[in-house]
Amino acid sequence: MSRLLAAVLSCAAWAQAQDARAIIEESQRRARSGSQRYEGTLEVIDARRKVSTKRWVYERLGSAGNSKAVLRFTAPPEVKGVALLIHNYPDRASDQWMWTPAVQRERRIAFQDRRTRFFGTDFTFEDLEERDVDRSTYRMLGEEAIAGEPCWKIESTPRPEARSQYTRLYVWIRKADYVAAQIDGYGRDKVVRRIRYSDIQNVQKIWTARRIEVEDMTRNSRTVLKLEKLEYDVSLPAELFTLQALRRER
Amino acid sequence: MTFRFRRSCSRSRRCGASVEAVLRALAGLAWLSAAASGQAFSQRGFVEFRNFAYPQTAPGDSGRLVSEQLLRWEATLRLNSWLQLNAGADARFDSHRQFERAWRLDWADRRKQRPALSVRRLSLLAHRGGFTFEGGRQFIRWGKTDILNPTDRFAPKDFLNVLTTDFLGVTALRATWERGGETLDVVVQPVFTPSRTPLLNQRWAALPEEARQFTLLEAPVRYPGRAATGARWNHVGDGYELSLSFYDGYNHLPVYSARLAPLPAPAVVFERIHPQMRMYGADAAVPTRWLTLKGEAAYFTSNSPLADNYVLYVIQAERQRGEWLFVGGYAGEAVTERRVQIDFAPDRGLAKTFLGRASYNIDTNRSVAVEGAVRQNGNGFYGKFEYTQAVGTHWRVTLAANLLRGSAEDFLGQYRRNSNLMVVLRYSF
Repeated sequence: MSRLLAAVLSCAAWAQAQDARAIIEESQRRARSGSQRYEGTLEVIDARRKVSTKRWVYERLGSAGNSKAVLRFTAPPEVKGVALLIHNYPDRASDQWMWTPAVQRERRIAFQDRRTRFFGTDFTFEDLEERDVDRSTYRMLGEEAIAGEPCWKIESTPRPEARSQYTRLYVWIRKADYVAAQIDGYGRDKVVRRIRYSDIQNVQKIWTARRIEVEDMTRNSRTVLKLEKLEYDVSLPAELFTLQALRRER
Repeated sequence: MTFRFRRSCSRSRRCGASVEAVLRALAGLAWLSAAASGQAFSQRGFVEFRNFAYPQTAPGDSGRLVSEQLLRWEATLRLNSWLQLNAGADARFDSHRQFERAWRLDWADRRKQRPALSVRRLSLLAHRGGFTFEGGRQFIRWGKTDILNPTDRFAPKDFLNVLTTDFLGVTALRATWERGGETLDVVVQPVFTPSRTPLLNQRWAALPEEARQFTLLEAPVRYPGRAATGARWNHVGDGYELSLSFYDGYNHLPVYSARLAPLPAPAVVFERIHPQMRMYGADAAVPTRWLTLKGEAAYFTSNSPLADNYVLYVIQAERQRGEWLFVGGYAGEAVTERRVQIDFAPDRGLAKTFLGRASYNIDTNRSVAVEGAVRQNGNGFYGKFEYTQAVGTHWRVTLAANLLRGSAEDFLGQYRRNSNLMVVLRYSF
């Protein structure tokens, strides 16, 4: 009897895990596009409530671990022209180059530590990566509303090979449109980073959060990213995602 | 030899002048067509106030406070989807006679002093598919390492202050073909641009005490005439990047011949020569899980009796950890044929040296960095501490302390009286 109960519970847990994983997969599937372009405005609010603003243009070609992206800063003036070229591969670490106008040279970079903050913001490089579904295990924790919207609450535990800074993540996915509403990243037993997604709009049939707020609990600072002039499946020639294009400094 | 040199030099002036005239005309046409069609225009720049305080005087230079001001403007005009005009200009002022007090716009930027007004960049760039062509005054940077770049042959620098340098543009034609992970770069530089060397009457010249007993004169410089050419192939592979490069031209860093002129008063006459140089180079970068490894090596030969044949190489490792960035490496040299007697070669001066840098981002506006160079024989040392902070949207303040120590015979040690404190205030727009 007890064996049967254990088997039933195990099956239920497996089914629940499958459900949780299926929800994450569906969420990623719905967000997928062949290309993307937006103008981002970042506000970094430090622990002393001082606000600094950065602006960039982001272009991506391809998706789901097989993509190329360019990010070019347009403000403030001292970083204007700085650009980052990223080539993502499904089977190995990405190639990254940074262009700095002051030295007129692209520089091969590699962020061995994905905890590194992205250009002084509260986003880490890991937070901005495309998340590979297979690199975590999932568990359904139940249902909970975020900002009045019913959501699934899923625990995501990165596998050791993912080398994540987080021991686990709680992810809230909106039931209505499968868009992430909130992610809490844990370092051991406490939340170290909270990402909130809001201003969710339907852009070319893809429900997208136009406002992403990340809060670094350890530094007591937060960053707000607003996506403006967002377009999906825009025509972007492959030649824009090369070292030569980086040098051209559009 | 001398005759051929002079003749080619005179031909070079004509050649250089005609190239410049064509480029200026092209730039003018591009500007007019853009103005007519109202194409995309972007610009940036800064005004910088750089101030140095030297606790010690140096032989021949009693100045302890040096102030430099620079206005730099850079612009890009997109004429259509495949053609753009790049322009840049500098305006300078300083307290130490480092810039020329002549109010003319300098194109070639190859005089002893910095020009008051200069064209830093003026080039037309065309691209279609994987092909890019740029002609005019531009910046060409080769190499992958950060602490020293032996293969970076089209990148002369301003060394009026040997520690705080700035790249000079070159007048060249550059064609680049890129497909997948392969890039082929071909460069022709018809007009030679030398590196700007320290002024003889200032502290960074660091002449031996005996030489200062004489009047020092510099003979008129004869610039090389023949065009420099170069090619570089770069391959981005699966988890590595590799380049091979070739350069045939002239060293932008000079060697000197010195002679005593006894009459009318005893004087030492220096002649600055930029010897022929051929370079065979390679560089590579391999990002691994723990470190990014970078290396660069070049073998230099020359047919000049005043220049060495030698190998210069750099190995470097870097690691990012949280807000820390660590870069460390070693620059080495092997001379296969020694002929140089007097030269100014900061690249070779940093050979046989361990170099390192650690920087930490305190927050979005503030960072600190420490860097150092130690000669392997212990005869020279350079250390720097730097703190920088952004103030508001436009301003940045940088405070730095540079320490130089060593023996007079060592490249770093010869500047041991040039340790300084630096305050830089920059307004970016």
